[in-house]
Amino acid sequence: MALRAAVLRHIRLPVQTLTAAGSRPQPQWSFLRLFSSHDDHLTKEEVIDRVLDVVKSFPKVDPSKVTADVHFQKDLGLDSLDTVEIVMALEEEFKLEIPDKEADKIDSCNLAIEYIYNHPMAG
Amino acid sequence: MSGATTAAYLTRRAAQKERVRILYRRALKDTLNWAVHRHLFYQDASDLREKFEANKNVEDLDTIDKMIAAGEATYNKWRHPDPYIVPWAPGGSKFTRNPVPPSGIEIVNKGIFSNVNKLG
Repeated sequence: MALRAAVLRHIRLPVQTLTAAGSRPQPQWSFLRLFSSHDDHLTKEEVIDRVLDVVKSFPKVDPSKVTADVHFQKDLGLDSLDTVEIVMALEEEFKLEIPDKEADKIDSCNLAIEYIYNHPMAG
Repeated sequence: MSGATTAAYLTRRAAQKERVRILYRRALKDTLNWAVHRHLFYQDASDLREKFEANKNVEDLDTIDKMIAAGEATYNKWRHPDPYIVPWAPGGSKFTRNPVPPSGIEIVNKGIFSNVNKLG
């Protein structure tokens, strides 16, 4: 019994809890591959690039006017239904499911980028 | 003719506009559920947009309410029985499949049959 307890104490794994749900490895550990699916959040530049690409490829939009600050209705001259279409295109691009009330509030590139960046499941 | 731009009128109009936007959003998603192939979807989406644009300039609040109600009835009639929902969202196939374990969980590595012979 004592032998068993001694053997167990020897092989028992140390307790290791993650610090926070969204913690990522530090840059010098970039060679360390974590096989969890919770560590691959998008960088802000990636989000901005993809959002701007989606907005620029909308047929009613003039691509040269699109920056990260544009408001869809005021700066780009779009309709509210066009805004709905753009939000749906962003949902498809990032594989998100945005609730209706939240999607209604997304009115400009800024809000879209912020929402997508802060979403944990943004692909 | 009711007061042109009173606060009550404006709030009612704003509520109606929100209903229209949400209805358009749901109808567009539903169209994508039915018409999976993109060329068909683009065609159907254009038709849907035409229907919304045709009634764009109606001014009378009650007519607008009736139109919105009729639109929502049509939407409910045509809802897809098996819509595409993103897997991790509620209703999707991966929803709560692997919930995050509560923090502070301890991993204790005993043998599989460690509890069999309790006499030591």
